[in-house]
Amino acid sequence: MPSGALLFQSVLLGILLGGLYALLASGLTLYFGIMRVVMIAHSAFLILAAYLGWWLHERAGLDPLLAMLGTVPLFFGAGVLLQRVLLTRLRPATLTMMSVLLTFAIALLIEGLLGYAFTGTQRRVQLGYGSASLEVFGARVAVVKLIAFGLAVVALGTLYVLMKRTRFGWALRATIQHRDAARLLGIDTDRVAGYGFGIGLATAAIGGTALSLDTTIYPSLHWHWIGPLMAIIVVGGLGSVPGAAIAAMVLGMAQSLLQIPMGTTWAQTVFYVALFATLAIRPQGFFGGRLAQRF
Amino acid sequence: MSKSLKALAAAMILTLGACSGGGGDDTGGNTDEPIVIGVSLPLTGDFSEPGKGVQQGYEAWAKIVNDSGGLLGRQVELKILDDQSNADRVVADYEQLIGKDQVDLVFGPFSTRLVVPSARVAEEYGMLFVEPAGAAKEVFEQGFKNLFYAAPAVANDHYNHLAEYILAMPADQRPKTAAYAAMDDPFAQGTAYGLKAKLEAGGIKTVVNEVYPPNTTDFSGIAAKVADAKADVLVGGSQYQDGVNLIVALQQLGYQPKLAAFSTAPTNPEFAKAVGNKTEGILSPTGYSQDAQYPSNKEFVEKFTAQFGKAPEEDQANGYTTGQVVAAAVTAAGCAEQGDCQKKLVDWVRANTVETVVGPLSWDGTGKPKGAHMIQQWVGGDIKIVLPADVKEAEFVFPKPAW
Amino acid sequence: MPSGSKVLKLAAVALLAVAVLAFPSIAPNPYILSAGVLVVYYAVLATSWNFVGGFTGYISLGHGALAGLGAYSTGILVAKAGLPPFLALAAAGAFVGLLAVPIGLAALRVRGASFVIVSISLVLILLLVFQSWSSVTGGSRGLVVPRPFQLTRPEHHRIFYFLFAGLLALAVLAWWLIDRSRFGLGLKSIREDEDKAEALGTATYAYKLIVFVVSAVFTALAGGLYALWFGDLDPVFQFSILTGSYLVLMALLGGVRQLFGPVVGALIVGIALEFFKVEYGDTPLHLVATGLLLALVVLFMPDGVLPAIADLIKRFGRSDRTSIREVSAAELREQRLQNAGGTK
Repeated sequence: MPSGALLFQSVLLGILLGGLYALLASGLTLYFGIMRVVMIAHSAFLILAAYLGWWLHERAGLDPLLAMLGTVPLFFGAGVLLQRVLLTRLRPATLTMMSVLLTFAIALLIEGLLGYAFTGTQRRVQLGYGSASLEVFGARVAVVKLIAFGLAVVALGTLYVLMKRTRFGWALRATIQHRDAARLLGIDTDRVAGYGFGIGLATAAIGGTALSLDTTIYPSLHWHWIGPLMAIIVVGGLGSVPGAAIAAMVLGMAQSLLQIPMGTTWAQTVFYVALFATLAIRPQGFFGGRLAQRF
Repeated sequence: MSKSLKALAAAMILTLGACSGGGGDDTGGNTDEPIVIGVSLPLTGDFSEPGKGVQQGYEAWAKIVNDSGGLLGRQVELKILDDQSNADRVVADYEQLIGKDQVDLVFGPFSTRLVVPSARVAEEYGMLFVEPAGAAKEVFEQGFKNLFYAAPAVANDHYNHLAEYILAMPADQRPKTAAYAAMDDPFAQGTAYGLKAKLEAGGIKTVVNEVYPPNTTDFSGIAAKVADAKADVLVGGSQYQDGVNLIVALQQLGYQPKLAAFSTAPTNPEFAKAVGNKTEGILSPTGYSQDAQYPSNKEFVEKFTAQFGKAPEEDQANGYTTGQVVAAAVTAAGCAEQGDCQKKLVDWVRANTVETVVGPLSWDGTGKPKGAHMIQQWVGGDIKIVLPADVKEAEFVFPKPAW
Repeated sequence: MPSGSKVLKLAAVALLAVAVLAFPSIAPNPYILSAGVLVVYYAVLATSWNFVGGFTGYISLGHGALAGLGAYSTGILVAKAGLPPFLALAAAGAFVGLLAVPIGLAALRVRGASFVIVSISLVLILLLVFQSWSSVTGGSRGLVVPRPFQLTRPEHHRIFYFLFAGLLALAVLAWWLIDRSRFGLGLKSIREDEDKAEALGTATYAYKLIVFVVSAVFTALAGGLYALWFGDLDPVFQFSILTGSYLVLMALLGGVRQLFGPVVGALIVGIALEFFKVEYGDTPLHLVATGLLLALVVLFMPDGVLPAIADLIKRFGRSDRTSIREVSAAELREQRLQNAGGTK
């Protein structure tokens, strides 16, 4: 039986991890909601953002948090372009399958270019406050993890306000719910979809920065993120942002706690077990959108 | 449909032509031509850092040999391919080097995972296979007859001097508990488990025993367990970055062991900076010392430094040692080509002792070297040999200062 | 001229067979021969993939995992249970076939997106399991599969080249038979419009599941044969996303609706891979090239090169097209949508 202190420590780590998962899964959910696209390259962009943060830190001594000022707008633009230039070219009838392949190809492209530019060596941002930590009721929380969690909370909060309180958010949600009807109401769904993609990719920029603060990065790392993230969006119900956020917290916590008895490797399988269980028992997901039924 | 089939047939013929035209240039054992040595190394991918180190060792060896007139009066030439740290590729590389490029000799690649598959290729083509990096015991359990490891000791024996030292401490000072965290890699695990077996036999209790996959990036969970157990001794079976990550994660949790030992990582030139210069007292085994008094070592350090602008580390030395072993065999056997010559080379290496930059090396029937590693420790901002006592450069510091 | 085209077809198949069989004798060195083994191995995998991808239109990125399962099952049965190699291979095929049933049940119950997610997850979860379960799989130390024959390396390559070629013939034959059957027709109706197929009484779920299992068995056999040939298994390389993506690229490039499409794709991609390796060494640019090629195929040639070449020949050659063209429902719908878009 693990000690109370270890349990408490793991719960804290689970919450911090879950927050990051929730942020990243929100982007994936947006893409799926808007265009029924499973965006495999999401986590590749995540790693790209982390690399940009690392590179600016190595070269210019810039704190990765400052790098976000550049990466977020950059990624927003890339997202809009990606949707407008590439995804709309695909045949609507085979969009879901072909978009998977296309984004998969983009993921390979990013991985290959990162490997070419920075080699496969593991990299880590060396921050002055890298090993600093705060004490919370006997457990210790690393400052960098707290910052990453804070980024996730702020970004998710902003996304929530954007979706619920602004005209653009209404248009976006209308597009997600019923594209044809939204168009009839005079919403320029193509433009909204493009911006939606941009926002999704911007979350990857923020997530990548959060990631670069505290972990090692290497070009093929994105495969280890895309698996859990896809599991999260299926468990949460494809297309549902709150569903994904809840699933992210639950699974992040489960992973952190399962590490105590099972070790790090087996603990990661929790995502896939949850994925298969969801598809076998409740394919539409547990918090799910009505959309999920058919996909 | 028929059109497409015709196109298919045409494509097939074209590709076949391309295939058969691709190979075929023979380089025989002509005495005027250089001796070509085939190597595959991980210059990209997981093992690229040590891979490049070994490459420098090989290059330094080739330069030093050529500057002094070559081998058997012939120049040596390295043909190095990049295997991307990938076992499929390493096999294809050696297949290409031996089968297509007809190299005269081969040197081994880096990392146990790549050594076993590539040793099989060499074995099945009957080539002598001296390798700089397959230190795990599995390498020597495959029944290879042509394989020799060019370093003083296998992974499980790296910490022998440290284990002896700890177990010789007076009972009231001796650590009581130990935590082990090892990468799921035959070499890294081999070092940690070699020490674990000896400490357990000596009555030091194992309180944490974690294995993590090579691609682990978040060590907070493992660190939480280690810190919670408050072990006296921490042993990390690490490559490089994982060791750094584990140390940083443990620092975040405020854990202070009395003794901390990591394989490979602490000898890396980047190490101190990566862990925020909190290195004092960290231990690491090493098979090589720049200051060692072996005759060839002085020349090696001097010329290597001249060529690369820095002193050689362990990986570079291992590459160089491989070259020395093969060169000794070639000189003694008087030949360097594929075919019967390779058998002569193998027999010679098996029966003899070779003087190298890491000391005199000899091997048992499986190709395992018969020696042990020295133990280094970070003392006063520099890494120094502390064990065994007869070669030490500084006193062993125990307990370890806080990090 | 049906008889003429039939003769041509037969001649082309015969030529292909001769070319495949003659290759080992004209290969100039063992390295080229080993590259040939690899290409035929890819051809078997791509053809096996095409049972699902070609007939139903469901794109699996996880077939690398099924091949890995086949390889490891064979390897474990030989190395740990001491079974004769080819009995182990057959058992591995049967085992993976059985395992494909629950996987298919979960993956095929819902439409496309979930299928792809499951197929990728399969690779990732099996990687974790095979890395961690080291008492059985050898973990990251790898699994050494004993050689089935005591031969020199070139002889070993030659034997396995013919074994792979035999398996390829079997897979192609099976695909051809299904293509001409009622079962095949049902499968293709799923590809065109799953809802309508279901409404017309096709047991779509069962059809998809059966063909998925067939595909899994062939993939596993290819993987198992690879294990016997290659001898060293490492989870990182057996359960690699990249293998799956190469297969998709090969099949799509060659053309998923053509019997020999995946074979052609495997020839092009397999040879290109080896060629680039020899000429430029291994760099991450492989990934870039694979990614670019995949993106180009998806964007501009979703039906593959074979149909594209055929189109080209048709356009330049004399026009002998019949009045009835083969157009899929998807293409019709798209034409309709394009027309609608144009008038708006």
